[in-house]
Amino acid sequence: MTEMYSTLFGPNEAQGPPGSSSLGFGAGKPPPPIPQNQVSMPGQIPPQLVDEGPALRKSGVMNEHFYLLRELPVGNELTGNTNLITHYNLEHAYNKFCGKKVKEKLSNFLPELPGMIDCPGTQDGSSLRSLIDKPPVCGNSFSPLTGASLTGFRLHTGPLPEQYRLMHIQPPKKKSKHKHKHHRPQDPLPQETPSDSDPKKKKKKRDDDPDRKKKKKDKKKKKNRHSPDHPGLAGSQPSSNSLR
Amino acid sequence: MAEKFDNLEEHLEKFIENIRQLGIIVSDFQPSSQAVLNQKLNFMISGLQDIDKCQKQLNDINVPLEVFEYIDQGRNPQLYTKECLERALARNEQVKGKIDTMTKFKSLLISELSKVFPEEMAKYKEKRGEDGPS
Repeated sequence: MTEMYSTLFGPNEAQGPPGSSSLGFGAGKPPPPIPQNQVSMPGQIPPQLVDEGPALRKSGVMNEHFYLLRELPVGNELTGNTNLITHYNLEHAYNKFCGKKVKEKLSNFLPELPGMIDCPGTQDGSSLRSLIDKPPVCGNSFSPLTGASLTGFRLHTGPLPEQYRLMHIQPPKKKSKHKHKHHRPQDPLPQETPSDSDPKKKKKKRDDDPDRKKKKKDKKKKKNRHSPDHPGLAGSQPSSNSLR
Repeated sequence: MAEKFDNLEEHLEKFIENIRQLGIIVSDFQPSSQAVLNQKLNFMISGLQDIDKCQKQLNDINVPLEVFEYIDQGRNPQLYTKECLERALARNEQVKGKIDTMTKFKSLLISELSKVFPEEMAKYKEKRGEDGPS
């Protein structure tokens, strides 16, 4: 500790704490008093102190004028100053995973895997973590089943009870996109791509809204005219004009 | 490198397909299916043997434990890779920011010290000359 201290911060004479020798940092020799007219500069040692303890100092740390001076780090050292993704040629992976949205569910990663794989593994005890925490007790080799041991696998005829049929339940797939595709040809703008067409369609709906409202109102008016509860034309006419 | 994984992937796919067929046979078992069931059971054992053989080729592959947590939660393990890359880039930028700030601070400190302690800083620059103090 003492050595480290002296290496990093210079000899204790330079620090000049009044009780340094009693604290165990010095050799017991009290430091000479610094004259009051001499201004102590940070980073500079008075010349009479510099030569006192060269044996304690390392050549790279100390020099004539400065203490606390350490060698600068090597320039070619790999630090956070460089783009580490580029340095390790991971741009492709970065663009692949961070450039577009990665789907959340496990079934999107393993679409061909049968069964409900999106459920947490802890629910049915199929978690990989449990394999690590409690490794299965088994032998070192897998030996094929002989005729005698296969008799244990004689099953009853008939279907399985409901609770054991989870194997065939597939996660529900989104069919909404397909539906949209099927309905596309009926849309007024069939040549557009799905992503482009939706907002335009919405916009068009919004644009058409006043016209539709007008038409609806006209229809209502017509109905009301024919209906027995109709209060009269005078009340409804200004409101329709004000809309126009 | 990819061949190792292709081999394992192929064995796993065969194994899963065999298990799927086994499930179908068992779900509505008929007496005539017993021979096929026995065959499938032995296929399963040979499939496990094949997968077990693959582990010799993959001893040097390390999988982060966090990936298992993603899979156990029914989440896409690619999200782990994505989050790792994003975290690495964010930390990289943070460290670069700190280094840039410290570099600016150093040059500013040297210029200010040169005004107040010109002689000492001249000596310092002389000492650090080859390293480029600013």
